[in-house]
Amino acid sequence: MMFRSSRGGAAMGIALMVAALSATSGYAQAPAEPAGTRAGAIVEQQAAKAQRLTPYQPGKLEAWVQKIDEHLSATEVKWHPFYGTAYQGAGPTLGAGYVFHTGDYDSLDVRASMSINQSKRAEAEYRWPRVLARRGVFRVLGGWREGVDQNFFGIGTAETSAQDRTAFDFRQAYGSARLDVRPARGMLLFGGGVEYLRFEQRREAGSSFEQRYTSATLPGVGATVNYVHTRATAAIDSRPATGYAKRGGYYGVTAHRYDDAGSPFSFRRVDYDVVQHLPVLRDAWVLSLRGRVQTTYASADQAVPFFMLPWLGNARTLRGFSSMRFRDRNSLLLSAEWRVLVSLFADAALFYDAGKVTGRRADLNLAGLKSNYGIGFRLHTPATTPLRIDFARGNEGFVVVLGSSAAF
Amino acid sequence: MSSCVPRRISRHAAALVFGLGMLSSWAPVRTAQPVFLSDDPLGREPESQDASNVQPWEINLAFDVTYNSLVTARQEPTGSRAGNVNTLDEVPDSSWFTNRIGARPLSAAALVNGPDISPAPDPASWTILREKSSGAAAGFTARDARGATWFISFDAPSNPDGATGAIVVATKLFWALGYNQVENHVSSLRREHLRIDPKASVKRPSGRRTPMTNDDLQTVLSRATPGPDGTYRITAGRLLPGKILGGFRYEGTRPDDPNDIVEHQHRRELRALRVFGAWTNLTDMKSGNTLDTLETTDGRSIVRHYLQDVGSTFGIGANGPHEPSEGWEFVFQSGPALRRLFSLGLALSPWQTAHYEDVPAIGPFEGEAFDPEAWKPRAVVRAFTEMRADDAFWAARRVTAFSDASIRAAVSAGRYTDPRASDHLANVLIRRRDRIGRAYLPAINPIVGPRFEWPGGLSFSNAAVEFGGASAPRRYTARWHAFDNTTRVSRELGVTTGTATRLDAPAVVPDVPGGFVRVDVSAEHDEHPSWGRPVEIYFRRDASAWTLVGLTRLP
Repeated sequence: MMFRSSRGGAAMGIALMVAALSATSGYAQAPAEPAGTRAGAIVEQQAAKAQRLTPYQPGKLEAWVQKIDEHLSATEVKWHPFYGTAYQGAGPTLGAGYVFHTGDYDSLDVRASMSINQSKRAEAEYRWPRVLARRGVFRVLGGWREGVDQNFFGIGTAETSAQDRTAFDFRQAYGSARLDVRPARGMLLFGGGVEYLRFEQRREAGSSFEQRYTSATLPGVGATVNYVHTRATAAIDSRPATGYAKRGGYYGVTAHRYDDAGSPFSFRRVDYDVVQHLPVLRDAWVLSLRGRVQTTYASADQAVPFFMLPWLGNARTLRGFSSMRFRDRNSLLLSAEWRVLVSLFADAALFYDAGKVTGRRADLNLAGLKSNYGIGFRLHTPATTPLRIDFARGNEGFVVVLGSSAAF
Repeated sequence: MSSCVPRRISRHAAALVFGLGMLSSWAPVRTAQPVFLSDDPLGREPESQDASNVQPWEINLAFDVTYNSLVTARQEPTGSRAGNVNTLDEVPDSSWFTNRIGARPLSAAALVNGPDISPAPDPASWTILREKSSGAAAGFTARDARGATWFISFDAPSNPDGATGAIVVATKLFWALGYNQVENHVSSLRREHLRIDPKASVKRPSGRRTPMTNDDLQTVLSRATPGPDGTYRITAGRLLPGKILGGFRYEGTRPDDPNDIVEHQHRRELRALRVFGAWTNLTDMKSGNTLDTLETTDGRSIVRHYLQDVGSTFGIGANGPHEPSEGWEFVFQSGPALRRLFSLGLALSPWQTAHYEDVPAIGPFEGEAFDPEAWKPRAVVRAFTEMRADDAFWAARRVTAFSDASIRAAVSAGRYTDPRASDHLANVLIRRRDRIGRAYLPAINPIVGPRFEWPGGLSFSNAAVEFGGASAPRRYTARWHAFDNTTRVSRELGVTTGTATRLDAPAVVPDVPGGFVRVDVSAEHDEHPSWGRPVEIYFRRDASAWTLVGLTRLP
């Protein structure tokens, strides 16, 4: 008997079962009914059990699983893990956050993390998740991050090589307010926000970066920039969830404006994003396609600093290349995944990424794309992808990607 | 895990039980205990003890799924006979089960009425009493215009009529099959007829419980789609009488219920749910979809066991259509997953090539590729692994007792807006019924309904042949014995054979009141060698006639 409170209870249960089967049919004897009747036999067994009743006691494993489940499914989340990095490519990161609920739904989340390369991030976010009659989410975010050893390989695609790697450190302070609205609570999505962003490049005399680049050869070297960043998004998002999807798509445009009063680094950027998931043969496979174009615009007396240039190369763009391998004023990224739905909670994927960065928008074409291919494995829930391992091979080598979100 | 017997102990216990069970079967073992007692065959399993001290429990879903997927999945079946069958190899009525279809005539009207004991809800007004505390579908608890309390749930917007129709139709089917069911009705509500009880509250993400607001109500309604006239189609499930105790497990017994003496994995009606689940594609067989209640009658309380939520049925779940693999694979099943992984999905599974008609109200539910023996619920169920051929035969007899007309009657209770949905559902259920009949009725000696007259002979039916699941055997053989009910000694009287379902008796039988005759009936069939294992049939000579008192059908 599998769910007894103790071995004694189990033994009793087995004894009762044996007694039951020892009779000529499934049942044996008992006194409350007339003697020598089948019903009487059953009554006798029930009376015997009545003398030895025990309350149900969950075992250690059950109690343990229940505790974990209660913690994970609790509506009131307080302590939580936080894996946000100071910048994409900082490597494995650990952190934690604590949520204070200030209203039924509104919350303040204070969180911090540190990456394996010593990059740090600390921030606080206030969320109002049900504004505009549950059509919108409003967030106010403030924080600080310190990035260590961020890759820089130079400007351009073909013009740079993996051997050109240098790195720089930075500090960033930021504060923002952002509103995302689904006006019809459906696929149509609008978003907008304003951010103050202070970017301070930390100079390290004698570093390879310092030796190689100056403010004359690379816009932004050594600069401390204070941006007022405004953004606006319009999109159609038909994916059932952003963290994992087998169908649906995202078609959106986001316009950014970075105004830097007092220094020559004001510019605009426009991101065009297209994602489509196409289930094939009753979810045997999913063909996922993604296209992204980022373009920047700066007036003649302004420049886009190198650390704000569109870039490619990391776990979610060109997976077979180093983080931020390619930077320039414009970027083109194309990705395709042929996902095999191994089970309800696991996928495997063959993927191919191609892209390039360009100085001129006119060069955003399919010529000279850098590409990689690979295979990946993911564990997922219906709405999230907590674990993704991709093995990617590009023409600069082999990269193992460990991620806690979908590639796109 | 202290609450669970280690696997080794469990296996030893199972072997012991199995061995004693075999010794206690109908073989002529000398003992003072008569084989047949005066009240055999038992028609109702007594619940003699007061169970008022049973305490509510909550079976954790995560543990239930994990345990069944990792532990139960590795357990071998004991092979033991069901522990709650009577001497006719039937399941007596009990707090678990009531013999209905197949045991007595069941009119279409009775089937459509099912477990309903009261009028349908009056939707003129609804007062919301509580938020929904379990289950994935949108809903709440509300009081209708007559003051009755109901659990309200809606259809997923992607599948209008789907969840509401499925739960009502499935409720009728499982009630007819013999299970205790919640009274469910298809009903309606309009936003303007809804009000929130001042005491109704909602648990917020902050952890606080605060009064329910119109915004909360709107949140629930936003997960459903009203019809063109603004009316929401709903399912209203009646509040069960008695104290709610939580679900039951498909193994072990409830340690604080004195009347619960047969381990659940050895209850035939729970083993047989594997067949009934396959028929209806009831894939969500977790304990959380069952419910025990404590009901008090004449001062004595007993635990009544319900299949509380049979709504994840046909091709529909609470939040929309079933995953295509549901009914074909366990959620965690390494074999097919590894096959897909290493073939990069090129090794197609049957669910990927089965043809599903596009009927959103029914979801992916079909009867052509359906293989009842290969069907699987979401997670391993211990009682299902214990199902033997005799349990499956018993279950298949009940499924095949549904005529086409009775299936269509049950489906009509779903009140599908689109007649194509009703037709499709009924047609698939009919096809799946036929598959079940062809799979399980011929798999074991299918002799049923024996009658003995003296002078004269033995007449019987062949369930597999009658259903059309097998051709007639070459020959039937009856081996006749005089049987001593006290000593269990059988003395052979003769052998008769024939090709028809009526066999002559030997010249001499103990035709005296109180005498017993045992007849072992077997059949010869090239395609079904299992029919060669005889069904043992026992008749007792009563004052005026021979009465059937025993039937043993072993796999």
